[in-house]
Amino acid sequence: MKTQTPFSSRTLLADLRAAPLTDDVPQTLSGCYISDLLSDVLAHAEPGVIWVTIQTHRNVISVAATKDIAAVLFTCGRKPEADVIAEAEAEGIALLATPLTTYEAAGKLWTAGLRGDRNHE
Amino acid sequence: MTSAPAIESPPGAGDARKVSVAQVLVYELRVRDAMSAPPVTAGPADSLRAIQSLMKTHRISGVPIVENGALTGIISIEDIIRALDKGYINDPAAQRMNRQVVTLRDHYSLMRAVAEFDRHDFGRFPVLNSDNELVGILTRGDITNCLMHHLERRAEQALAQEAALRATRAEDEAAHRLVVRAHVRTGDYDSAGKVSQRMRQVLRERGVDPEIRRRAAVVAYEAETNIIIHSLGGEIITTIDPDQVVIEANDVGPGIENIDQAMQEGWSTAGRLPRELGFGAGMGLPNIKRCSDKLDIVSDGKQGTRLRSVIYLHKPGEPT
Repeated sequence: MKTQTPFSSRTLLADLRAAPLTDDVPQTLSGCYISDLLSDVLAHAEPGVIWVTIQTHRNVISVAATKDIAAVLFTCGRKPEADVIAEAEAEGIALLATPLTTYEAAGKLWTAGLRGDRNHE
Repeated sequence: MTSAPAIESPPGAGDARKVSVAQVLVYELRVRDAMSAPPVTAGPADSLRAIQSLMKTHRISGVPIVENGALTGIISIEDIIRALDKGYINDPAAQRMNRQVVTLRDHYSLMRAVAEFDRHDFGRFPVLNSDNELVGILTRGDITNCLMHHLERRAEQALAQEAALRATRAEDEAAHRLVVRAHVRTGDYDSAGKVSQRMRQVLRERGVDPEIRRRAAVVAYEAETNIIIHSLGGEIITTIDPDQVVIEANDVGPGIENIDQAMQEGWSTAGRLPRELGFGAGMGLPNIKRCSDKLDIVSDGKQGTRLRSVIYLHKPGEPT
């Protein structure tokens, strides 16, 4: 079992200046994965991570659900449509939106103590 | 018909079908299927009284008169009543029979026979074969009986078929097999993942290991999006058994030109729109291969692509 990094959702939201789009905000995250290519996420993201992307269409939810991803953070002020948010609610995936760029968001997550999800030998 | 409970089931055919079955039957069935055979006959020298006795014994209303094997006339129950009325019941048939006999051929359809009954006002027709031999006799009652009999047989066949189908479904259920099949339309990016979603749900309910579950979901999702992005449309069939999941993706073309090339990571033929949506990274087939325990892909330019991936639901050595 991967160690879950306890994460203060309040800190997360404050640091990222992020707005939660779904009712639930994850209390723990196992790591982070950043990509805008769906197949890349399918290939490499680990379960329980927060996925940072600029893609906002509904396939993001399908991919996140396929990989048991805990949360998706949309960057650069992008927000998905209401039906996409509804689908995420149904799948139990938390959605967040931040005005920060992907690079800035990654920096905030790293600074807050979140590390990558993979062992690089 | 597949031997499995599918998501889509054909709408039930109601009474409209029964009517059409009867209509088909009157065209399909021949006079020889409905006629009474062999016919009860008499000779020209037999008396009308003897013929009346024949009618009573056999409960029939007309008797063909045959001489040297050839049909020469017919005596009907109406002729007998007239003979009793006018007092010539002991006359031989030859003197009183109707010699202008209208006949049917044994190969006529029942539809044509019904038309003949409507045209002539006869209660029965002698039936001849192609050698002009008398082979039977046909009444309206014979036609009705024949239709009822065949309708009943069709109905029984339909019931038997239904029962057989139910049995295979029950078998599938007993084996905990679930088949989810769905049509996938080209360019329908908004529907991607529907099959994969249903499969994930079933696997979760069955307590399949999350890691194996995710691999199956990746295969189903990538196979589905491949059809959406690259093909002219197709179908995804996932068969979920207790020990394995089989994901089949069949499309109608245009086929993969070079499968070895398509299996290389980063190689993609996807257009601009799918790429903007984050598809077409050239990782679909490599992802499928990595997540499958067994993978077969057959593709040619004419027949489209058939992909079959098997994922075992138990880790090696784990008790099943």
